[in-house]
Amino acid sequence: MNNSVNTIKSVNEGLKKGEFSVEEIVADYQARIKKENPKLNAYLSIFDSPKLETRNYKLETSLLAGVPCAVKDNILISDEKCTAASKILEKYVAPYDATAIARLKQAGAPFLGKTNLDEFAMGATGEHSAFGPTLNPHDTSRVSGGSSAGSGAAVAADLAVYALGSDTGGSIREPASFCGVVGLKPTHGLVSRHGLIAMASSLDQIGPITKTVEDAAIVLNNIAGHDPMDSTSVPVSRELPDYTANLNKSIAGLKVAVPKEFFSEGLDNQVNNLAQAAIAKLESLGAHIDQVSLPMIEYAVAVYYIIVPSEVSANLARYDGIKYGLSSNKKSSSLLDVYLDSRAEGLGPEVKRRIMLGTYALSAGYYDAYYLKAQKVRVLIKNDFDKIFAKYDVVVGPTVPYPAPKLGELDDPLAAYLADVYTCPINLAGLPAISIPCGFADVEDKKLPVGFQIIAKHFDEAKLLQVAYNLEQALK
Amino acid sequence: MSKITQKDVERIAGLARIRFGDKEKEKMAAEIGAILGYIDKLKEVDTDGVEPISNITGMENVMRKDEPTKNQLAEQAAEAAKLIEMAPDNKDNFVKVKAVFGE
Repeated sequence: MNNSVNTIKSVNEGLKKGEFSVEEIVADYQARIKKENPKLNAYLSIFDSPKLETRNYKLETSLLAGVPCAVKDNILISDEKCTAASKILEKYVAPYDATAIARLKQAGAPFLGKTNLDEFAMGATGEHSAFGPTLNPHDTSRVSGGSSAGSGAAVAADLAVYALGSDTGGSIREPASFCGVVGLKPTHGLVSRHGLIAMASSLDQIGPITKTVEDAAIVLNNIAGHDPMDSTSVPVSRELPDYTANLNKSIAGLKVAVPKEFFSEGLDNQVNNLAQAAIAKLESLGAHIDQVSLPMIEYAVAVYYIIVPSEVSANLARYDGIKYGLSSNKKSSSLLDVYLDSRAEGLGPEVKRRIMLGTYALSAGYYDAYYLKAQKVRVLIKNDFDKIFAKYDVVVGPTVPYPAPKLGELDDPLAAYLADVYTCPINLAGLPAISIPCGFADVEDKKLPVGFQIIAKHFDEAKLLQVAYNLEQALK
Repeated sequence: MSKITQKDVERIAGLARIRFGDKEKEKMAAEIGAILGYIDKLKEVDTDGVEPISNITGMENVMRKDEPTKNQLAEQAAEAAKLIEMAPDNKDNFVKVKAVFGE
C-alpha cells in the first residue's frame, strides 16, 4: 500500500475494488502510527480496536465508510478520553458523541485516535499542550502549527487519511499551512459545535484537515447541517448543496479581491512570492484580480484578544474541581481552596493568561473600554468584508505571514498572537476560509510548506471549494 | 490604563478563582500589561453609532420548548448516573462538595 497518495477517494476506490479490507487498512495505519508517532507526538491517544460501525453503510453510497480518520482531542467521542490537552481533563471520559462524530459514525468512519492540540485549543504553534508539542513532519525542529497541531501533522505524515480539527482564530488553517495540507474552516454555524469543548463560542467551528480539496468537500458533505443541540447552528431553509458537485467547474470570470493589508510589513519574502504566484495562477485560469483595502483588519488581532479571553473566562469557569476533571481536594481545604487549587494545578500558563485577561476585560469599570469596544470594532471588520463581497466572489492572500517557526521561537505571548493576523479576521466576521498548499519556502536546507488562503461569503463553501480545487489542480 | 499592578492581578485572580504564587503574579502583571498596551490601539477607532451584535450570523435568542429531548427515561437515568460518576466525589447519587457555610 502506498500511503503517500491515500486520499478518501483513493481508499474508497481500493475498498470497492477489494484491493484491501477495512480491517487491513485500519491495521496498516495503526502500525504506521505506532512507528511514527513517537517522533511527532501527533496523537494523544491511539485506539486499540477502532469500532467499525459496519451495520449501516455501503461503500457505494458512503465515501467515508471504512476510511481511517483522526480526531482533535477537544471533540467528544463517547466512552473515549477527551483531554483538550489539559491536565485538568487528563482522565475525563466523554459521556456522549459530538454531533460531527455521530454523523461520521453514521457514514461508517473508523477512528484511529485523538490528536494533540494547544491546551483547550489556545495557541498558534501546538506548543501549549500539557502533553508536549507536536513536531512538524517536514522538519522536527519546527512546530506543526496550532491549535489543531496533531491533526495537521497526522494528515501530513499520513498517520490518518483525514482528520477533524477546530478553528477559532486560525487553528485549522495554521497547521494546514505549516504542514502542507488542506484545512477548511466552515462558516460559523454550518457545522454543529455540540460536543466540541468550548473555547470561544462566537468563533469556534469544527472543520476537516485533508490531503486534497476534494476530500475536504467530502468531509464537509458529511458534517454540515443544522443541529438543535447547538443554538448557534444556523437553520438552513434550503437543502445544503453537494460540495463536490462543482469542484471542476471553470472559474473564468471569477472576481477575486486581494487586500493590500494581507501583504504589509512582517510578511516573509518567500511567502509573499508564493502567494503572488498563486494569484497569477488564478488570473491565468481566467479570474479577474483587483487589489482592495480592508482598513479595519489592522485592528483584528486586538479585537480577537479581547473577545476570545472574555469568552474563555466564562466558558472555562466550569473547570472548578467539583463537577469533573482534576480536583485538588485536601482534607484541610475549604470549598474556595478546592476552586483555587484545582485551577492552579490543572490549567496551563496560556490558559491562565487568557482567563485573567478576559476576567479583567469583563470586570466592573473596564467592560465598556474593552469588551464593548471590541464588539463594535468587530462589526466594522464584518462591514469591511460585506462591502468587498458585494462586488467580489472571493478574497485571497497568504494564510500565515511565515513558514513554520522553530520550537520556542514564538515564546513571547504577543508575538504568538500576531501569527493569527490573516486568519482571525475571518473568524471575527464568521466567514468560511480554506488554506491550501501553494509551494515550499527554502529555509536552512529544508523545504517548508506554505499555505494560501481563500475566503468566501457566509455559506458559500461551494464557491470556496470550487476556487480552491481549480487552483490546487493548476499548481500541481 | 494598561499599567497592571500586582494588586490588580490579585483582584482579577480572586474573581477568576485561580491561586498564583508571587513570581507568577509578577510575570502575569507584565504580560497582561504588554497585551493590553497593544490592545489600546482600539482607542484609535471611531465607533460612535456602531451597534454591537451578539452573533455574527445575526441570530438572537434561540429558544426551544422546555421539555426533555430524550423519550427514554431509562436512558436519561443512565446518563445522569454517568455524570455523577464523573464527579471527583459523590455520595448517594449526589455530587459531594465541601461545606458551603462555615462550621
